[in-house]
Amino acid sequence: MPKRIAVITTVYRYLSHAQHMADRFLVGYPHKGRWHKPEVQIVSLWVDQKPEGDLSRARAEEFGFQVYPTIAEALRCGGSKLAVDGVLLIGEHGKYPRNEKGQVLYPRHEFFRQIVEVFEQDGRAVPVYNDKHLSWSFEKALWMVEASRRLRFPLLAGSSLPVTWRLPDLELPLGCQIEEALMVGVGGSDAMDYHALEAMQCMVERRRGGETGVAAVQLLDGDAVWKTGEEGRWSKRLLTAALSRSDTPMGFSHQDSRPQDLVASGELRRLVKRPAAYFIEYKDGLRATLLMLSGAVRDFNFAARVKGMGVVSNQFLLTPEPNVTYSACLMAQVEEMFVTGRAPYPAERTLLVSGVLESCLTSRLEDHRRIETPQLDVRYQAPRVSRHARE
Amino acid sequence: MQITRRRLLAAAGAAPLAAAPARPKIAALATIYHRYAHAQHIVDRFLDGYGWNNTHYRPGVDLVSLYVDQVGENDLSRERAARHPGMKIYPTIAEALTLGTGKLAVDGVLLIGEHGRYPRNEKGQRQYPRYEFFQQIVKVFRESGRVVPVWNDKHLSWNWEWAREMYDTARSMGFPFMGGSSLPVTWRTPQVEMPPGVRVREAMCVCYGGVDSYDFHGLETIQCMVERRRGGETGVKWLQAWRGEKFWEAYRAGAWPRDLMEAALSRSHTLVPAREGFNHIFPTEADMRRLVKNPVAYRYEHNDGLLCTMLLLPGLLRDFNFAARIDGRAEPFSTQMYLPMPDGRTTLANFFSPLVYHAEQMFLTGKPSYPVERTLLTTGLTAAGVESLFRNQEHLDTPHLAGIRYRPTRESTFWRS
Repeated sequence: MPKRIAVITTVYRYLSHAQHMADRFLVGYPHKGRWHKPEVQIVSLWVDQKPEGDLSRARAEEFGFQVYPTIAEALRCGGSKLAVDGVLLIGEHGKYPRNEKGQVLYPRHEFFRQIVEVFEQDGRAVPVYNDKHLSWSFEKALWMVEASRRLRFPLLAGSSLPVTWRLPDLELPLGCQIEEALMVGVGGSDAMDYHALEAMQCMVERRRGGETGVAAVQLLDGDAVWKTGEEGRWSKRLLTAALSRSDTPMGFSHQDSRPQDLVASGELRRLVKRPAAYFIEYKDGLRATLLMLSGAVRDFNFAARVKGMGVVSNQFLLTPEPNVTYSACLMAQVEEMFVTGRAPYPAERTLLVSGVLESCLTSRLEDHRRIETPQLDVRYQAPRVSRHARE
Repeated sequence: MQITRRRLLAAAGAAPLAAAPARPKIAALATIYHRYAHAQHIVDRFLDGYGWNNTHYRPGVDLVSLYVDQVGENDLSRERAARHPGMKIYPTIAEALTLGTGKLAVDGVLLIGEHGRYPRNEKGQRQYPRYEFFQQIVKVFRESGRVVPVWNDKHLSWNWEWAREMYDTARSMGFPFMGGSSLPVTWRTPQVEMPPGVRVREAMCVCYGGVDSYDFHGLETIQCMVERRRGGETGVKWLQAWRGEKFWEAYRAGAWPRDLMEAALSRSHTLVPAREGFNHIFPTEADMRRLVKNPVAYRYEHNDGLLCTMLLLPGLLRDFNFAARIDGRAEPFSTQMYLPMPDGRTTLANFFSPLVYHAEQMFLTGKPSYPVERTLLTTGLTAAGVESLFRNQEHLDTPHLAGIRYRPTRESTFWRS
């Protein structure tokens, strides 16, 4: 019997996360070189917003499931007791307000709370996958992780970056000694910086001693980013390594496809109008930096200096629309959790990144001050194998 | 009659290759040099460097001379020469090779005969002048009594006899010769290699593009994998091509394995959605018939019984996907040869980076990174595919390809670092 899944989402439109994720359980998806027929079945759906282009009704009719008016009814499939074996919570896209930190207030925590209420009322809990960060608020995110511990249901969270293909296929050895890490990301806050932070986190969490949490963060933008580079607060060598993995340098490369050394030539400063640096001080002393460099490149690249390995780097391959095959990589992990009842990697990764992002945005709001983050006392061990696409 | 290599060299009037200097001087011969032309991707990487092994890498050779056959309004060679004064543009191939001294004055040659306006023949083959350029290179070698390594972009020639002559000339004169496309050396998603010495029963590439163009890339995709099979490469006995309605008849008749086609399509990142509102859905036969305007298949058998199929499905996808049935594995073995393509997806065609790196290694070491016999065979397969289509999709025996035997390199040469 296939596992019965409820989809709880903000909006179900073409190329919204709900569409390209949930659809994979309806029409299958590529996995390990086959068109995989999932061992799960979507039996119910709840969608918060139905703007023009809504596909929820059409999908329900074609694939024989119900769209319910409330989250509780979707989880109970119209009955009186929890009637699904897993929940896909996709709170990305749709029209929601932003707060003063620039965070979109997606109601993931609110939806999750309603799911937990059903679990509590019905005396049974099932695995939940939460798309992207748990919540815009660390406090709310922590509540979500604690609820999953309290009710003992598997929780998987996060985005596709940790599980997509890597160019090259770089897997840092578990227990390695990372001396410094740097990530280059592009796009707006608080969507794309989340992806970049999570990509960096899935690499650095493999260091010796495991993840120990974050002591402080700071976000700088504008000229201060270049100034801190000159001062050595982040490594130009690592930036060169990360950018050496990019397939999308802008400026002259966009103009006539010539390769460029953006760092040495100084073109980087010309191309990036609004740079931002997210400085992360881990409790065990590791320093990691995310540079958001919109205008310089259009892909996500990582570099680190690792003891005994020297400088290593890779691109997190975000495959093109509309297939966005990286979301198939992610849904394979979700399906595995639904089938086995075990999350393939810890939600604490997502919890920590949710908190780091929130605190960085607080730093930006509060005149870029360095913020100590005692609440980010998130400790966990990385999975033995990182689960990115490699077979 | 036994002909020794020494006697051949003596007959050709050329001295054996000397050790390369610390920074070899390289000449580039190009048909045309504009944005996205192969010459731009390749020569630019020698001039401007490229991302490689965690840094912006500067090659250990000096590209000192350039010949460009066609200079149009969109030409970039003049801008490149102005920005890189170490490289001079010469009006003839001979002068580019002799740097105007009358004698061969470079330590390696890049022959880039792709893109530019050249006529097509009645078979639809674009008559890029690779053979003609090669002849001029060899003339300078002969007159100078010295040979240097030559690197040839893509297939050796559209004309099989000419390609064979190029190969034989390189062997008889004793200069390192290397060719082919990026497909064998680019990234793979996932990053996997054909297990060495494995028995391969069937292999397939599902890709896109047209005849006498991307078919070569598809054949290279297959060949770089299957050459690692048990016994090495043994040559090809016959080839059969199909297009249009006959393609679909062959598909329905099961002329090639469906499971490998499904595996290859499951490696694609660019499947055109067959249904509106769905971003990624596996196509039915009816979907494929609607989406693919000019399907082409080449199917061929190697001397050891291995059967291979190259499918061009333009309109359905835009990448190169490999699948094979190999012993010891129930499921097909498959991957994608990933090309970061500047067709809107990227700004750089970085799949040229490993190609350029291997060319540089040959210039530095005097040893090709992989056997030119691969390129000779895929050149012959491309020409045979064109010929089969031209002869009304006839089954062609290929005795001229049956003798191409070679062993692959022990080490993988695709991009992993």
